[in-house]
Amino acid sequence: MIKFHPDPEQLSLYVQGGLTPVESLMVRAHCDYCDRCSKVVHEKTVLLGEKFASENVLAAETRAVHTSTNLSAIFDEIVKSPASNAVPPPKKMPTTVELDGRRFVLPRTLRKFISSVGNWSSLVGKVWQAPVKLGGAQIANLVYIGQHGEIPEHTHKGVETTLVLKGEFKDGINAYQPGDYIRMSGTDTHTPYTDSPQGCLIFSVLDQPLQFTCGIAKFINPFSAVYFR
Amino acid sequence: MLVGIPLEQSNSVVKPKDCAGEMSGYIVSIAENRCKRSFARIFSYFAPRLRSYALKQMGNEALAMELVQDTMSNVWQKAHLFNAEKGSPSTWIFTIARNIRFDMLRKLQNRKEDVCSDDLWPVLCEQTADANEASLDEQITLEQIGFMFESLPVKQKAVIEAIYIDGKSQQEVADELSIPLGTVKSRTRLALQRLKVMLNDHD
Ligand SMILES: [Zn+2]
Repeated sequence: MIKFHPDPEQLSLYVQGGLTPVESLMVRAHCDYCDRCSKVVHEKTVLLGEKFASENVLAAETRAVHTSTNLSAIFDEIVKSPASNAVPPPKKMPTTVELDGRRFVLPRTLRKFISSVGNWSSLVGKVWQAPVKLGGAQIANLVYIGQHGEIPEHTHKGVETTLVLKGEFKDGINAYQPGDYIRMSGTDTHTPYTDSPQGCLIFSVLDQPLQFTCGIAKFINPFSAVYFR
Repeated sequence: MLVGIPLEQSNSVVKPKDCAGEMSGYIVSIAENRCKRSFARIFSYFAPRLRSYALKQMGNEALAMELVQDTMSNVWQKAHLFNAEKGSPSTWIFTIARNIRFDMLRKLQNRKEDVCSDDLWPVLCEQTADANEASLDEQITLEQIGFMFESLPVKQKAVIEAIYIDGKSQQEVADELSIPLGTVKSRTRLALQRLKVMLNDHD
């Protein structure tokens, strides 16, 4: 049962194309799991399409008059072009990532990027991560927390968005399950851990490196940029 | 034959909802007959509105016209990907324009992400027009099943994976694994029963 969803504002921005590419990817991957948000996205798309197509005819026309030469030139050019009937052969896409002989099936949206997943490295204790090289400034990682593993307490300089892919983790506030979408920022502090035997796989996107706040983790804080890059 | 762009009656305020059926017909006729007259109807209705949308989004006449041209080109060239059952012409054309705008802005902002509009909203992917494509409901079920995979016996897992993820036929799987077709069928059935039980437990 999914309990944490992108907020309505974010879904609206997603539909408008107003989120960054990586944020959009997170929302779509959440929709792979979530019927409710898929439906909201669909409804919002229909509404926006209607709004776009209901634009005042007269105003639109008046403006079109000034550029009618442009528009008819565009029309003439387009109808000269042939139909594109070339159907590319469906690509066989990998569907899983592997860690230590364990295979994890990724949601449909993320499968396209499996080839961009780098090597797994140990973060702390039973926590492993593999960078997902999506380009751009945001830092994306697959993170696997083994049973009784824990990510040291940390706060966020920017925004951390997390999508649970498999298993369950807790952070002292809530328990999160596959499909749950969590956005943490600024003053939020948390210590994700898992006690489920199968561990927990999450997809995490950071605006900026994490700041660890306590214990031994403080020592790795200066390197967190390295760990989380 | 010379085909002009018919002007809309200046006093007609046609709601897109009211003419969705008519517009769908035009798009089908573009797909089937390369009908310029139908395209002219679509063009005269949507091009000015696209321009208006594009001006608001891009704030620049040249970019706006580029967006109009790219969007309408796609409608002309890929009309066969339109599916009236999945949505109205307004929705379809809006999503094409939204995607083009998204990619134009990515370029303008010099963003380095390898994520493009096709990855986010596969409006014009040939595969999504494929009748064999699993519906969203089925996809979601498939995702959920994905996570229960690992508990299946290895032999059943291999069969399910080949059929439901790689999209192979049962015969292909039989050939590939050199086992009788009947065995593939029984493994599939057993695995599905098992997954069904797990899904029910899961809810
Ligand atoms: Zn949701």
